Amino acid sequence: MSTADILTAIQDSPIAHAISKSNHLVAAGLQVVHVLGFIALLAALVLVSLRILKLVLNQRPLSEVTRDANRLFYLGLSLTVFSGVLMFVSSPKLYFYKYAFELKMLLFIAAIVIQFAVLRRVAASENPSPFAARAAVALSLTAWFGIGLAGRMIGFT
Amino acid sequence: MSSLIAIAEQIEQLPISVAIAESQYAFPIIEGVHLIGLSIAVGLLFITDLRLAGVILRRVPLTQVLHQLRPWILGGFASIFITGGLLFLAEATTLIENPAFKFKLVFIALAGINAAYFEFVIAKKAGAELDRPVIPAAVKFAGVASLTLWTVVIVCGRLIPYLPSSP
Repeated sequence: MSTADILTAIQDSPIAHAISKSNHLVAAGLQVVHVLGFIALLAALVLVSLRILKLVLNQRPLSEVTRDANRLFYLGLSLTVFSGVLMFVSSPKLYFYKYAFELKMLLFIAAIVIQFAVLRRVAASENPSPFAARAAVALSLTAWFGIGLAGRMIGFT
Repeated sequence: MSSLIAIAEQIEQLPISVAIAESQYAFPIIEGVHLIGLSIAVGLLFITDLRLAGVILRRVPLTQVLHQLRPWILGGFASIFITGGLLFLAEATTLIENPAFKFKLVFIALAGINAAYFEFVIAKKAGAELDRPVIPAAVKFAGVASLTLWTVVIVCGRLIPYLPSSP
């Protein structure tokens, strides 16, 4: 089974038909959920980044800020992944061969790896070294902001 | 309205507007920066609102959250207004007739009024009560109102390409 066959099978699935044959406001609704989730995710990430760099809320332990921010991060991640998967399923052939989409997915994988392998470890130590703190925040924000930029390019390429 | 359209037509003919509209990359890149600015400004504002409503960061004194996040929120808003302005230049004539864009402007104004009312009336009146564990009802309400209004602004913004322009 080739990639094209898989994409065709997804495109012909009942769920894909349900979305693509429905009112165009369903697709618009998915876009709205996607962007709101992304903003929730980034809000949490920006807060944790600023706290790791000791720029805000220094009076509170890093672990406390991270714990609260994580709830918002996972809410945002669930909303973006859920809406994103439905968008992709509704027209896989449209997305799969787009350069901007491929870039976005590569950045997404990188961002998730950075999130759990780097940022989480740095945030777990109460006083990370300034170098580790800056490197982790720079890597993480570059990947997630890159996802936003690549995402906006999808509709234009 | 016709004079507004005339102004929008002139705006769209400015060299910078034409440059943005005709470039393959300028428009999506500016939109991307608009989105990133949004996630910093409105994102941190959402965190402030959730703290006002008592949902997250409850152990952090409210005035600390308000004061320390403020410069980042304002900086983010500066970038949203600049990039939003540039996007408007390139699509002025269609945007002023787009219902989602009109609603977006109305809700930005309402969110601004809510923020000013919180800053100059509610927070002033609450004074030292802001940092007590029990959050005054008016403060909670301002937080929920801000969260709701900005969410509607984002929804309207995302719907701009999906709702037809009607003169």
